[in-house]
Amino acid sequence: MDWQALLLDIVLMPLVAFLVGLLMVLMMRRVRARLERRIGPPFFQPLYDIVKLYGKDIQVSHGFIHDLGIIMVVGGYITVEMFLPVPGLVGLAEKGDLIALAYLMMVPMLGMALGVGQCANPNGSIGISRALTAMLGYDIPFVLVIVAVAAMYGTTSLPEIIAIQQQGGMATWGIATMPVMALAGLITTHVMLAKEPFETYIAPAEIATGPMVEMGGKFMGGLFVVQAFQVYTAGVLYATLFLGGGENWLVFLPKIFAVVFIPFAITIVFPRYKAGEGLLWVWKWPTGIALLGLALILM
Amino acid sequence: MTPLDLLLSLAAATVLLTLLLGRQSWCGWVATLLYGAQFTVLFGMAATGYEGVVVDSAMHFTVLGQTLHWQLTPLAWFFALITIGAGLASSAFASGDWGRQYAAGGGSLRLLHAALALNVASMLLLLTSADLLGLFICWELVSWASFLMMAIGGGDAMRHALRYLVYAVGGGMAVLAGIALVYAETGSLAYAAIASGLPDYSAATLWTLLLLFGSGFAVKMGLLPFHLWQASAYAGTPGPGSAFLGAISSRMGLFAILVVLVQLVGLSRIGGLAIPLTALDATALLAWIAAFTIILPTFTALRQTDARRLLAWHGIGQGGYMLLGVVIGDALGSAGGLMHVFNHATYQAALFFSVTAVVYRTGTGNLDRLGGLVTRMPIAFMTMLIGIIGLAGLPPMNGFVSKWLIYRSLINEGYPLLFLAAVIGTLGTILSVYKLIHNMFLGQLRLEHEQVREAPWSMTVPMLLLSAVVFVTGYLPGLVFDWIAPVQAALGLPPLVYHLGGVTTAGGNLDMLWLVSSMLVGFGIGALIFYAGGRARRVHQLDNYAGGHFLTAETRYQYSYNFYPALHRLIGPLYRDSFQWLESGLVSMLELVSAGAQGIYRSVHPALYLLAVLVSVLFFWVVN
Amino acid sequence: MTQPVLLFALPLLAAFLLPVVWRISAAAGRLFGPLVLGVNVAIGLLAWDGVANQTRVIALGGFAPPFGIAFYIDRLALLFAVAVSLGILLLWPAGRDGEGASREATLTLVLAAAGTGLALSGDLFNIYVFYELTAIASYGLAAARGTGAGYAATMRFVVIGSFGAALMLIGIALVYQAAGTLNLAQLAEVAPGTLDGTLGLAAFVFILVGAGVKAELFPVNTWVPEVYGAASRRVAGLLAGIISKLALLIILRLLVLVFQHAEALQVMLLLGMLGLITGELAAWRARDLTRMLAYSSIGQLGVMFIAFSIPGEAGVYAGLAVALHHMVVKPALFLLAGRWGGAVERLAGAAQASPLAAALFILLALSLIGIPPLPGFWAKFLVVSSALAQPGAAYVFAAAAILIAAVVEVSYLFRVVARLYRRLPAATLPPPPGRPDLAVGSLLGAVLIATVLWLAPLGDGLQGIAAEAADRDGYIEAMNPASGLLP
Repeated sequence: MDWQALLLDIVLMPLVAFLVGLLMVLMMRRVRARLERRIGPPFFQPLYDIVKLYGKDIQVSHGFIHDLGIIMVVGGYITVEMFLPVPGLVGLAEKGDLIALAYLMMVPMLGMALGVGQCANPNGSIGISRALTAMLGYDIPFVLVIVAVAAMYGTTSLPEIIAIQQQGGMATWGIATMPVMALAGLITTHVMLAKEPFETYIAPAEIATGPMVEMGGKFMGGLFVVQAFQVYTAGVLYATLFLGGGENWLVFLPKIFAVVFIPFAITIVFPRYKAGEGLLWVWKWPTGIALLGLALILM
Repeated sequence: MTPLDLLLSLAAATVLLTLLLGRQSWCGWVATLLYGAQFTVLFGMAATGYEGVVVDSAMHFTVLGQTLHWQLTPLAWFFALITIGAGLASSAFASGDWGRQYAAGGGSLRLLHAALALNVASMLLLLTSADLLGLFICWELVSWASFLMMAIGGGDAMRHALRYLVYAVGGGMAVLAGIALVYAETGSLAYAAIASGLPDYSAATLWTLLLLFGSGFAVKMGLLPFHLWQASAYAGTPGPGSAFLGAISSRMGLFAILVVLVQLVGLSRIGGLAIPLTALDATALLAWIAAFTIILPTFTALRQTDARRLLAWHGIGQGGYMLLGVVIGDALGSAGGLMHVFNHATYQAALFFSVTAVVYRTGTGNLDRLGGLVTRMPIAFMTMLIGIIGLAGLPPMNGFVSKWLIYRSLINEGYPLLFLAAVIGTLGTILSVYKLIHNMFLGQLRLEHEQVREAPWSMTVPMLLLSAVVFVTGYLPGLVFDWIAPVQAALGLPPLVYHLGGVTTAGGNLDMLWLVSSMLVGFGIGALIFYAGGRARRVHQLDNYAGGHFLTAETRYQYSYNFYPALHRLIGPLYRDSFQWLESGLVSMLELVSAGAQGIYRSVHPALYLLAVLVSVLFFWVVN
Repeated sequence: MTQPVLLFALPLLAAFLLPVVWRISAAAGRLFGPLVLGVNVAIGLLAWDGVANQTRVIALGGFAPPFGIAFYIDRLALLFAVAVSLGILLLWPAGRDGEGASREATLTLVLAAAGTGLALSGDLFNIYVFYELTAIASYGLAAARGTGAGYAATMRFVVIGSFGAALMLIGIALVYQAAGTLNLAQLAEVAPGTLDGTLGLAAFVFILVGAGVKAELFPVNTWVPEVYGAASRRVAGLLAGIISKLALLIILRLLVLVFQHAEALQVMLLLGMLGLITGELAAWRARDLTRMLAYSSIGQLGVMFIAFSIPGEAGVYAGLAVALHHMVVKPALFLLAGRWGGAVERLAGAAQASPLAAALFILLALSLIGIPPLPGFWAKFLVVSSALAQPGAAYVFAAAAILIAAVVEVSYLFRVVARLYRRLPAATLPPPPGRPDLAVGSLLGAVLIATVLWLAPLGDGLQGIAAEAADRDGYIEAMNPASGLLP
């Protein structure tokens, strides 16, 4: 790959991710509105929100680490997108594999934790302690998914995983070859996106008493940007591992939207777990299912 | 006089000079210079580290018909590099203001510097020993040098040091038993002779040897179930000393495992030892010990409320990764295990320095009595940040590279559950180190720490240099791989194929050059986006929203106690302190038996015993 | 060329003369004993080369063995004889004035004479006589302090000692009845026919238990902690360091020459292990420094019994190494404990009062535990490796016991060290050890370090001595050139 194409990829990938992610956020809000018998926000609302937040007159910073935290969150996800191959765009996916990607995805979380920590608000710290606890929960089934994928395809390189599934057709898709694992992966995606009942640490009711308590203006704006990235990353990763990726965007987009649609559609029926209860549930069900799936694969 | 002799004499000279000049205030700087000289001499032998040329020492002794001699192998070079580096950093750190405060508090700087020099010298001797007897002698030297370092704190530290000593001597005796067994079997303690005799050993003998050597070395490394001594002993050691011990001393166990079990016995031979009644073999046993060593101490660290204890517990856990990588034994895994030794030394020393700097300024390492120091001690904070990212094994620091190699090898070789265990350890580490940095540097500044200043340059410079190493070797891991590939070749392991930025393997690549660069670019874009937004106003840290509660300047709220309540509610019952129970149970049993033994001697009717013996002898006679 | 006889005769003569000399001049009397012992050491050293070339047999009174009484002087015997004189010289009970002092000095000289005789004797009956003489001198010395506890402890010593002596006598009688001779060389020749049955084994066990009283053999060693705790530390050092080894020497000679039963070795191994285990454990629990050292000496003697129960030259070599090492270390430790005696708790801060003494204590403790490269390590290594080379689980257990005992040792000895180095205000420091004690202790410490430096030649030399001592035919031939002609 020559460097111009690479440069183009690197520029395009986060940009595409951001835009598609905004669409997904829009979908999320629309779906929720419809289920609540509302109309929902207009098409550009997610973008407006971000622009509004960045443009706020009053921006309150609690110090350099507060700023750095937001930079790490946004920057970390931009990096993640460069390693996440999508149709036509490979970017740096050859330079780091699924494991590296999984660890890169923890960097924004650390950035968030640092930023909130500097705010010196005990409520924020409590929120972060819950967020990190939740991460300890969902990362375990996530890791099992990685193991299973690696065992199934014999590689952790994302382009190769996509290539294997595309060459073999639908019968070789992850969802066909390891349905149990795909189920575990879907539940894990739901938990990772922090949808009800696992939204303890970012629930609307927690805004005043959670990690976001000191986040206003462009700090909040940064988190809105990241939300788009997060949803997009979850959809793309799942589609890549279990749904054969996509030969082109026409095939790919429906897949990734379908993946995130499921959590968006079912989340509203759930109440909310307490922090420890959610953790226990995650260790019980998705982890259990993933272990079962892994056993089936290895046998 | 070979360069190795020069190195060893320099190390010995350092010990002597620190003893002689110990009373002078500039003694530490002289020692630092001498470590620098040792470093230079070591790099003078760069051919060993980079190309695998073995350097012999002219020093040798003959005893019991065994000739003890010393030589520098690539493995020794690699470990010596870390040892001298850690000594250099610790010495520099201790020489300036920290040392003055330590001396003013009644500590003996002479003893500290001498103990450090003795540790470095004895470790160099151990690393370069070229036969089993020399290995054991130097092993004991290192053990006792560590004891000296731990014990100079006095008081509680002495108590913990005594506990260490019992473990260490127990381990040493296990090794000695192994050596005596080898001697009885082969009649020689030279590596070559043992290697040629090994094929004739029966499986039972080999098992015995494995258990004896394994448990002996495990004690030093703090592998389960011999790990209890380490955290409290390291936590009680004076700051720079604990940095040195935490960085390299506990890796001597790994070094010995590499020399004896990997190089001499060979992993394939160990893998051939099946555990009766199971499908497992000895390699799997070692791997699972490593896995449990990763998980249990890490989650014990999560519960600590003392910064140094927390770090020391993590040090135990990280040792598990090294062993795990090494026993998997493929090119990636063993490279990861070996590289983790280096990586761990760098970030662990940096972390201990950072904590020591905070203790220097605030007088406490209690995580419930600190907070908000980032505004007062930004350099210490940055050091700790870089250190914890390395410790947690997240990109872009060097800890990520070594862990990635280990993960990769676990997946390649088909150990999904071990992989899961390794990742659980990492996740626990992330939680734990965030607690560490949060409770010390983030959150609210305590009233009594309002006037705290940054640590002086004599402490910050070593911290910054170490942080730089942590970052650079994460960015360009090929620099470290350059040392590791010859080590692997010398140990008989498959050598790693690498390039400056990382490795290219069939199952997945890692190129830190690109990964870190892209992170920097990503952060740059993030910063651009951030600073393109409206200008933010800096507010006082207490100017924040408390949801109807009132936070005043007099009443500070720092969320530090029981940091992860939800998690601890869940896993709290799993902490059974089984090993503590086991240890105290053993001690009680010993008490009981020895009370009985003493009872025999205290008895007032000794003649009765004599009569009993006599009768039994007569009985013996009559019956026959 | 009867010089070596002087080794035995001089102190005996001096012991008789001493009260007279003392009456004439107390100062001369005080110097007399050490002087004689010094001469003795010199004689021994001068005789060394000669003995090294050719083992000497000296028939007392001109009657040739096997009919007469004979001294058998090989390097081992001479080594022990010199060690007795030198050890007693170094540990000479110094200080007190008056009649008690002269009595103590006399008894010490008797002990020296009897000990030397014990080392040189080549005849079982003589051995018994000298053994009794040693015992009586020891009783006297143990009680010489004149304290109530001393008398009580000595009483216990006397009871056990007398039992032991009686048992030994029974054993010797059994031997005589079966073999018709008590000359060791002749016994060695006739033993295969007469003493290899149960009778021989029983005789050996009787002698073993009898001599074991002095050699601190389990279970006839219950006098040890009390006596060492109550007697002066010098006497304790003497008994633990020197005299116990002489009893061991007897057992060694008998084992090599007369009783070559596998069962005899097994009995010794078992008793040695029991002594080692109980001694070390009791020491671990001891809260009093002197008693701790006493128990530890029981443990060390256990190691020696284990070593000597290993058949062949390897066992003798290992056992001698441990014995000689203990001979250096234990007296030095007792000397240090001279003023430090009593509860370990009270030692806090002793390192501040006397840094040299504390450092010396560490050195001795390290060697006792067996930390390389100190001599104690090499001795233990020899024992463990030669035990592991033996077939049979018993030796493996013994090796394991020795190694585990080292862990126990480190635990209790370094508990003391930790005490020594506790920081205390200067007013409350315990007294430093006396200067002569410290001087002798330092000398012994220097010996340890010198041993490390000349380890290889010393090791080779000791191996040669051991080989000679383990050579049964050599003994017979040297004692009786015409032995081949005997039936």
